[in-house]
Amino acid sequence: MIDYIVTVLTEGSIFAIMALGLNVIWGWSGDFDLAYYGYVALGAYMTLVLSIGPAVDPTTYILGLTLPFPVAVLIAILSSMVLALIIGAIALRHLRGIYFSIVTLGAVYVLYIFAGQFVPLFNGFNGLSGLFDPMGAFFGIDFASYEYFYLGVCVVALIAVLIVLTRLNSSRFGLALRSIREDERAAAAFGRDIYRTKLKAYVLGAGVGGLAGGLFAGYLSAFNTSAWSPVETIILYAAILVGGRGSSRGVVLGVAVMVIGLQEATRYLPEVASHPSFAPALRLIITGVVLVLFIRFRPQGILPERRLRDKDPTGKGDAQVAVEHQIAGPTLDTGTA
Amino acid sequence: MHQALLTLGFGLVGAAILSLSALAFTLEYSVTNVANLSHGEILTVGAYCAYLVQQHGGGVILSGLAAAAGGGVLALAVHNGIVDRFVRKGIGALPTFIATLGVSLIIQNALVIIFGASNLGYTVPQGAPRNVGPFLWTDTEIQIMVSAVVITVALYLIIQHTRFGKSLRAVSQNRSLASVSGINAHRVAALTWLLAGLIAGYAGFILAESIGTFSPYSGFNFFLITLTASVAGGLGKAFGTLVGAIIVGIALEFFGGYLSSSYNLAFAFALLAVVILVRPRGLFVGGRRSIFG
Repeated sequence: MIDYIVTVLTEGSIFAIMALGLNVIWGWSGDFDLAYYGYVALGAYMTLVLSIGPAVDPTTYILGLTLPFPVAVLIAILSSMVLALIIGAIALRHLRGIYFSIVTLGAVYVLYIFAGQFVPLFNGFNGLSGLFDPMGAFFGIDFASYEYFYLGVCVVALIAVLIVLTRLNSSRFGLALRSIREDERAAAAFGRDIYRTKLKAYVLGAGVGGLAGGLFAGYLSAFNTSAWSPVETIILYAAILVGGRGSSRGVVLGVAVMVIGLQEATRYLPEVASHPSFAPALRLIITGVVLVLFIRFRPQGILPERRLRDKDPTGKGDAQVAVEHQIAGPTLDTGTA
Repeated sequence: MHQALLTLGFGLVGAAILSLSALAFTLEYSVTNVANLSHGEILTVGAYCAYLVQQHGGGVILSGLAAAAGGGVLALAVHNGIVDRFVRKGIGALPTFIATLGVSLIIQNALVIIFGASNLGYTVPQGAPRNVGPFLWTDTEIQIMVSAVVITVALYLIIQHTRFGKSLRAVSQNRSLASVSGINAHRVAALTWLLAGLIAGYAGFILAESIGTFSPYSGFNFFLITLTASVAGGLGKAFGTLVGAIIVGIALEFFGGYLSSSYNLAFAFALLAVVILVRPRGLFVGGRRSIFG
């Protein structure tokens, strides 16, 4: 039983970090990015090739440097950010709305195909394996208590991400980002550099995704193309939408309900004979239904983004009303194509 | 040279299927301004309908009609059940786009539960390959191309020369102006989606026919290429979409024939990325705002 709780909490923390990264891109910046899971996957792949040994015949992959796990994760985060910088620089310059989504969808499929087909890179569709209990030997932790240690690592990472994002959210950068989300033209008129601000958010979100990917690789000890697909992004979107787009508390709640809750609720379904894909398919159907219903009936989610208050005590009255009116949480529609 | 012509011949078959799928997708977009991410599932459902009819002893013509009917019903259901309600509610284009992604997820996995996730074989007697000019085509491939041309011409005539086509063009140019001019935009959009569904369902049937197998995911995978072709040609513009589909269809065959077909989709999207950066509105979009302009 305790093992079960540890597993759920570890997975929950990792998925929460994943969703928080996407929330920066979609919740704050308002870009419906379909490439996001590509950054998570790249983080996982890079962590593995950096921390496991060199390739042994018949496997082939790049690097194999046997670096310490934290260093590997750091470099993995950087590589996800570099990839996001390239894709974001192309996609964010002129494209908004569905055109942006289509180009990012293309980008992630290119990545997915290369990861699965181009064997010299990450060993093709067989993928990478062999990262057992990272940091376990260094801290002298035995096999039995390792899972508690790794849960601790993931929870600490989640809390760190939450603190950093909460601070950023109320910083000038966070405010600029949300003003752009609400009205790009108005924000430009007030002197915001739309492209650079959005690109910064995009790269930041991808970095958080890379961190989640690294932790995920350490947890799974292996990664391949059957462990991820571009569709996973939709599950993260469903979690954000249910919890409350733009709100960090909401996103964590959304992951608890839509990723962990749904998975555990359907885990013990009676296995339909000769139908191994019944439970996963049912999960995806429920995800789809929830997605449609929330967009229609509660687009702000269960715990909506908090309205900003005017902190200037002299500005009570009309000014405060005006500010609240202007930034009243996310409206789902962010501009047209 | 001979090899190149043969490849071109196969490319034309692919282009024919792609054209129908892309035309249907662009029609859906033109009247509602919503890119329908569940478009691929219309093709998939079409293929399953054709499969069921074939299993019960139906011929090619009956299977094709069943595929079209299945696709039409599904497209109409998605429009009336989701898209039109969302548009009426004032929910914007992007959230509706996300909702259609949810619809795609629902249909795909409902099919997985009903029919299983594995590939189903769809075999029709192909007939021996014949030389037609420099090309080498089987009877089925000729049927695919002829039917695609007939459907495209019929669609052109409907859009340009009927009363319904006129209202379709009006709604696609300016929905609110069309509404105040006495056109029932919701009804026109519903009929357009029905028409698009008929075409897409049939496209799913000929896709299954030409590949020989299909699964709950084949429609979505083909939709990714459809998306590339229609956005590159000009989303919402039938003529641009048609040209885009033909070019992408042929280019993919050449690319797959000479290099590796596993990278087909990657190549298609790389093409799209270049096009969208140079001409975000599409390659073949003229100054006129008409759908066949």
